[in-house]
Amino acid sequence: MCGISGVTGTGNIVQILYESIRSLEYRGYDSCGLGVVHNGEVAVRKNVGGVEEVNQREHLTSMKGNAGIAHTRWATHGKVTQVNAHPHVSMDGRFSVVHNGIINNYQDIRQELLQQGVQFVSETDTEVMAHLVALAYAEFGDVEDAFLAAVKRLEGSYAFCMVTAADPEAIYCVRNGSPLVLGLSKGRNFVASDVNAFLPHTREALFMDDGEYAVVRPAGVALRRIADRTEVRRKPLHIEWDAETSRKGGYAHYMLKEIFEQPQTLLNALNVPRAEIEKYAQLVQDARQTYLMGVGTTHYVALTGQYFFSQLAGRLLPTVSADEFEDLAVVGPGDLLISISQSGETYDTRRAVAFAKAHGARTASIVNVMGSSLSMMTDDVILQGSGPEICVVSTKAALAQMVILLRIALELGRRAGRIDTATYKAYYADLEALPSVVQDALNERSGAVRNLADRVVQYRNWLVLGRGIYYPISLEAALKMKEVTYLHVEGMPAGFLKHGTLALVDETMLSLFLLPPVEEKVLHEQSLSALEEVLARGGPVLGFVFENDARAKALISDRIELPVVPRTVAPFLQLIMAQLFAYFSALKLGRSIDKPRNLAKSVTVG
Amino acid sequence: MKAVILAAARSERLLPFTETRAKPMIRVAGRTILEYMGAALRDAGIVDLLLVVNHKREGIQRAFEHGHNFGLNIEYVVQDPIDGIGAGLRRCESELDGEPFLLVYGDVLATGQPFTNVLQQHGESGDAVAALSLPPSSSEFGNVYLDNDMRITRLVEKPSDPHLSNYVFAGIYLLSPTVFRVLDQCGNDIEQTYQALIREGKMHGTLWEGGWIDVRRPWQILEANRMVMDLWSRAEIDASARLEDNVRIEGAVHIEAGVVVSSGSVLKGPCFVGRGTFIGNNTLIREYTSLGPDSVVGYGTELKNCVLFGRSTLGRLSFIGDSVIGEGVHLGSGVTTVNVHRDWRPVEVQTEEGAVSSGMSKVGAFIGDDVYIGARHVLGPGTRIRAGAVVDDLITQPSLL
Repeated sequence: MCGISGVTGTGNIVQILYESIRSLEYRGYDSCGLGVVHNGEVAVRKNVGGVEEVNQREHLTSMKGNAGIAHTRWATHGKVTQVNAHPHVSMDGRFSVVHNGIINNYQDIRQELLQQGVQFVSETDTEVMAHLVALAYAEFGDVEDAFLAAVKRLEGSYAFCMVTAADPEAIYCVRNGSPLVLGLSKGRNFVASDVNAFLPHTREALFMDDGEYAVVRPAGVALRRIADRTEVRRKPLHIEWDAETSRKGGYAHYMLKEIFEQPQTLLNALNVPRAEIEKYAQLVQDARQTYLMGVGTTHYVALTGQYFFSQLAGRLLPTVSADEFEDLAVVGPGDLLISISQSGETYDTRRAVAFAKAHGARTASIVNVMGSSLSMMTDDVILQGSGPEICVVSTKAALAQMVILLRIALELGRRAGRIDTATYKAYYADLEALPSVVQDALNERSGAVRNLADRVVQYRNWLVLGRGIYYPISLEAALKMKEVTYLHVEGMPAGFLKHGTLALVDETMLSLFLLPPVEEKVLHEQSLSALEEVLARGGPVLGFVFENDARAKALISDRIELPVVPRTVAPFLQLIMAQLFAYFSALKLGRSIDKPRNLAKSVTVG
Repeated sequence: MKAVILAAARSERLLPFTETRAKPMIRVAGRTILEYMGAALRDAGIVDLLLVVNHKREGIQRAFEHGHNFGLNIEYVVQDPIDGIGAGLRRCESELDGEPFLLVYGDVLATGQPFTNVLQQHGESGDAVAALSLPPSSSEFGNVYLDNDMRITRLVEKPSDPHLSNYVFAGIYLLSPTVFRVLDQCGNDIEQTYQALIREGKMHGTLWEGGWIDVRRPWQILEANRMVMDLWSRAEIDASARLEDNVRIEGAVHIEAGVVVSSGSVLKGPCFVGRGTFIGNNTLIREYTSLGPDSVVGYGTELKNCVLFGRSTLGRLSFIGDSVIGEGVHLGSGVTTVNVHRDWRPVEVQTEEGAVSSGMSKVGAFIGDDVYIGARHVLGPGTRIRAGAVVDDLITQPSLL
């Protein structure tokens, strides 16, 4: 997802333009840039990094101009480089564009332009637009004609903003499939991906529709249809909502938004280049000892990974929580530490990585935020590409990290000869089918999850129980519950019950069982026997069970039924349902879901 | 932007209350559904309302006029005959100036502000938007499938499996004028129109996690009443109200102007007492009672989880529980609503379609406007009495003495 904006006015608008992409940063921030018209010339500054960071390097705010455009983006994958950052300019430097979306036919246009002698600087689809307009302008001598001629060549979904030396006070913009809204005020007008960009300056917004373009000038805005250039008369809307509502994109809370984003997160985790996965497998293969490390949720991610490595690759990797790392880990040259962090800024994790480095170990990381401390200090980085995660409680980022660890474990297993090609392919087929399964499950089960949560949140003490890989999933499910509901919820290995935990069970202690698929015969049998132990003591139980699990359904009346999925991906589905359950429980209890009490998104202090 | 509010239909399911009023004039927690809706729209910056009316429109027009007392500009569009939502919407087309507009179903009560979410989603997506909700029981609605970008991809019937239930349409939409073209193609059928928009990929959702209820059955008036009162966190007592000695107020009790509460009465919040109401001695007003304006409650009466629209007279030593009572009702002394069966089975309510289970084990009576019930009557669970009915006093006739 990218954010684009444009400002035109009398006087220098650069500071306002800069603030506008600061406000769009939540849409993504791995590179950004400004294109400004000043004294009849177009100037562009751009680079890789967050908006503030790029400003420090490129001095964006010391630019000058009356009209300008800006861009900030979050690349899910692929190269983020200075030349690929927006804005892009035409060969003559007189037209500069920013873009949100995808041009489907850009390769065809690029080939055609190459034959006409156009030289491309970047690998982006965006750059063709700058050249198309410049060439059309040479032909027609009118910017609006040229802009429209270029737009008509494009196929895909896009929003563009353009400034040009040929019409120094104007911003030309077009919407076709990607959002674009005009902001109206006296003597200064705006265009942006969403209203956050200009809310501090005006609340009068004119939302563009697909197939419309606008010419924005300080004195006013002309909105027209692409097809016949007829004027569109639409009353501006006075924006009553705040920036926060807008960023949540139709969800009541970031947590729910991020839970619902997981089909996309899964796709992005699967799109992490195979070469990076292979490299990590190679590192583990070469290392004397490999540690998996995270803290909080990412510790449970690492524990889940531990099962993957053990079961798929026959390697039991020590998994140590970052806060205990120094006291427990025995690291030295030849060892590898794979650290996991959403923010890449977690104090405990950074400290443990520094400790490992000081002892001569090699370090690698899986992080979500590009340019974060962890991504800089480790020898290797995998960027998980999950997009910004704003809710303090991690959901989608954790899921992506688990999938990436699974992929590394699979690769290692294949190399070790423990996974044959057919199994390897079957795993990938299951993973690739997972996003749509998750999408449907979220759509079809939300009501049932909410109803169940509404019924049971009066319990103050909970156990979440699972065996095998469902044990770390239980730990993570319990942590989600703790964080957002403030209830006392503990994850426990189901096999532990009769070794002590069972003493806690009475009618006030609710046990939530995460049951494995029926095909996992032994694990399933063991889980059911634990369930019966609780039932025999009169303990109330809840279950997340797969639809075809007749035995569990007969035992548990308060349950969420999950669609049957291959055992390979079943833990992920259990995790997602647990996240949703925690969300609706917290909603029922009226908790501060996105910012639970006492918690912060990234714990950067010790 | 204008909002079209659909308030024309006569709802059989909400009888006896809709016999004498339009659905949005149903009152919960002291206000009509339309007042809640109008206030939320106004707070979202939408002040121009087109009210599509027909059935009992005089009541709406008398209460709201042109909306100026509510900070709104209301125009009325009379839908005659009442020929469906699509046709009702069609009658508004010329008033909408080719602009996008909100479409709101008149029986929807949401607590909080669902409209800005819808406006915002429209802003971002540019498409039609439907507010979506996750009600506890969604048997009566279409279930919605969403993709990553909150685009609605499918609308299906409610699945019979109780373990499947999706977000459903919450009766709040933002539509662009192009909807009229689609309406044409669909013969003014609104359901088909939504389906067509969804097929074109032109409808987005926005999830509403706040309170929401579609008031379709008389007992849901009680549910809606609870939903609003559950958000009350403080007592509000008008300065002109007179509380005599030994009146006890607990919790979020709302008392309006000119109310008199006689000594020895206990009011347990959340509850509401409308303006000008007189409450006799030793009365017990328990949680979730909404007692409309200008009522009189006699000595020693108990009220619990009930909605009284107003102008009612309740005789001494009565009990009204889990019941809804229309305007201008007279209950003689000692009237009792029995609100539970001996075996706690869900109470059935007699409707035009026969007996319908309320799904609740505690339900009292539903009494229409201007009903007269004489002294000493005992009304069984789920009793429904049509507006204007007279039930004579249960007294021994003098001629037999």
